[in-house]
Amino acid sequence: MRDEETGTWWQQVSGEAIVGPLKGQRLRSVLHDEITFKMWKQEQPRGRVLKPDPTVDAKNYVPADWDTRMEKVPVRIAQDLDPKLSPRTLVVGVVAGNVAKAYPSEVVAKQSPIVDELGGVPLLIVAGNDRKSVRGFERVIDGRVLEFFKKKDSSPLVLVDSQTGSEWDFTGKAISGPLTGKQIKQIFVLNDYWFDWKNYHPKTSVYDAGL
Amino acid sequence: MIVVIGLTIVITPIWLIQPFQPQTPRALEVSYVMRRMSPIVTIIASIAVLLVVVWLWRKSRWFGKAFAVLVTLPLFAATWMARQNHFEWMFRPDVNISYAPPDTVNYINDDDMVLSVTRSGEAVAYPVRLMAYHHLVQDVVGGTPIVATY
Repeated sequence: MRDEETGTWWQQVSGEAIVGPLKGQRLRSVLHDEITFKMWKQEQPRGRVLKPDPTVDAKNYVPADWDTRMEKVPVRIAQDLDPKLSPRTLVVGVVAGNVAKAYPSEVVAKQSPIVDELGGVPLLIVAGNDRKSVRGFERVIDGRVLEFFKKKDSSPLVLVDSQTGSEWDFTGKAISGPLTGKQIKQIFVLNDYWFDWKNYHPKTSVYDAGL
Repeated sequence: MIVVIGLTIVITPIWLIQPFQPQTPRALEVSYVMRRMSPIVTIIASIAVLLVVVWLWRKSRWFGKAFAVLVTLPLFAATWMARQNHFEWMFRPDVNISYAPPDTVNYINDDDMVLSVTRSGEAVAYPVRLMAYHHLVQDVVGGTPIVATY
């Protein structure tokens, strides 16, 4: 992206100025997530939703199955890729303690919640009941590391920690039990294509437990 | 020769920066310099070529004239192209920005993805299907000026 004031070119994924007068500067990333509209509505009934631009022909907006169609578009690969994954495999990318790791989205949907540790940070990767909405958390409360599992047949999704038996919702908030009201810290996860994630994080590892 | 320079400086960045493909930092830097220089370079090339054509016009025969026209036209096209941002033809930044309350939204499905930002109690959803076309939306959420990008 390019800013009008200085003409600098900015890298979308990192917010870093790559060429132009502001080269080396970086926009601060604002915590956000990528979830289904249904999930978002339930959590934010009073929020606001971007509307289509009425001057844009509706056929310009991409169809609902856009990302799965894009999986078939060939990629010119600029580096060697891990042969375990095809370039357009969808992954959940996480950076913690300056270490990058990719969790194949399909594996996350199957194994959620995934309890892991990355760069010294105890992590929790959770998929919602829709299996498409994925969030990452630091599974630490007041210096105490927690382990989570899914409450069977819960809808909406409820997680339980094995240390206190408290119940947690998909926003990372404890809704019942001894830790009620506590919030585990959400961290940013990126839904990305494997080739793209690898391009920006050449040293990334790949989660492969149970494969 | 002049025509080749004029065309190269416009076409190279278009070739180097293709959507949906990885780009290297070096290619971006080359493209950036070319994009910065191309408006002035193409104008100078056009004027130079025009002078040469006018000068040779009377002396040359019909095929010479035809050749001159054939060579000059792509250069004029490149001169015009150097003043356009072709990415904005492909991905128009959202110019008429408006928002709807969630219960009135009928233009996306429940299982479509949205980018969601919540700050100081204000929550906004940017549907991916709209963002995959506009790519950039500027907004202020909970007092923080942001650019949402996809």
